[in-house]
Amino acid sequence: MTEEKLNTSGLEIPKELENVIQLTTLDRIYNWSRRNSVWPMMFGLACCAIEMICTAASRYDLSRFGMEVMRPSPRQADVIIVSGTVTKKMVPQIVRLYNQMAEPKYVISMGACANGGGPFKEGYSVVPGIDKFLPVDVYIPGCPPTPQALLNGLITLQKKIDGESISKVRWYQKNVEEGIPIPVLGPDLMDPRQYDDISRFGRIQSPEIVDDDHIKNEELDENDTGVAS
Amino acid sequence: MDGSGIIRGLLIPLKHFFVTYIDDLKWLGKKYFKPEGISLRSSAETRGIFTVQYPEEKLPVPEEFRFIPFLVYDEGQDGSRQIRCTACGICTKVCPPQCIWIERHNDAETGRPVSTPVSYTIDIDLCMNCGFCAEFCPFDAIRMDHDYELANTNRYEHDVLQLEELLKPASYYASIRPENYTREEVRKAEKLASKTIKTTEMDTANPN
Repeated sequence: MTEEKLNTSGLEIPKELENVIQLTTLDRIYNWSRRNSVWPMMFGLACCAIEMICTAASRYDLSRFGMEVMRPSPRQADVIIVSGTVTKKMVPQIVRLYNQMAEPKYVISMGACANGGGPFKEGYSVVPGIDKFLPVDVYIPGCPPTPQALLNGLITLQKKIDGESISKVRWYQKNVEEGIPIPVLGPDLMDPRQYDDISRFGRIQSPEIVDDDHIKNEELDENDTGVAS
Repeated sequence: MDGSGIIRGLLIPLKHFFVTYIDDLKWLGKKYFKPEGISLRSSAETRGIFTVQYPEEKLPVPEEFRFIPFLVYDEGQDGSRQIRCTACGICTKVCPPQCIWIERHNDAETGRPVSTPVSYTIDIDLCMNCGFCAEFCPFDAIRMDHDYELANTNRYEHDVLQLEELLKPASYYASIRPENYTREEVRKAEKLASKTIKTTEMDTANPN
């Protein structure tokens, strides 16, 4: 798909050398080689996982995008597809798996539940959106997304990888990140002593904003009932 | 003999491998990236491999396929938009995950409610594609869309749809769900006809 673009470096080649030399930039060739070998982790949570399995099978065939091998080990995977409802019991394991993945690593949030909690958003046992804990790269709405919608999400991820630059991506910065603090199973999931660390990753900016979010949700609920009445 | 089942099983993919090429020759140039090709490969007659080459060709979705709701508006003669939604709030009540928020306003002068929504918000990351809103809407104003290519990199920008993003013309609805559309139009016309008959009867009964 981007093979045509791969050798357009923006530099001029003398006419007599056009058939001999191909120029490209380091970023472009690096992104090109990486975008075509994004290996997902063999990891499914709920009904969206069935669609993911279907996508990997011969009918839709992920391997056309260089994603043929679902790796059962996080050490060998490049992308974690969070496919399904994220329960409070499962989120520590998901964060642990994410921490164990080798960089560069990406997160795809697949389906309504992983994006924002979906129908279970106020469930006592469900995390309303994995983006509270992991830096999500691509969101795929749908309940569940069809295999073609998932493929569309993976193509979106490839486009995102195309736009990256080695000098800017966060895993090549000088101050190497620590892993994301692993949530603890319990009503709050977060260890209050780790709020500063958590705020650097997920959507949650600081403990104060967590409280604000809660208040905002309550306001929305009030509006909702006010309209309906 | 032991193991003969395994050999017979392994022959099946081998058969598929050869059948694919035979079938490709038979349907030369027509099997891929063409509507007839994709309908052949989704039918029971398909032989060999049958992978959907997704970005280049897409599986046709059935009429009743439902993904995300959208709001229907009628196009007036002069190109004006007549939003069917009356902000009655039935969809917000029936929505199981409660992903719809409607805001309506009262007329500043009369103080009576205006029959169009001021804002209409659907968080499609909560929507579970059940279609209850479309089922319950008494004004045929909200319908389920066929578009599933909604992947994005920022949910807060792209997945919380506002009124303007949700509005789509009735012609679009007719194009994705022709059978439903004609059924609804016929029903509406019948209703209107019976109404006019009734009023004319009333008029003839009481000329004053």
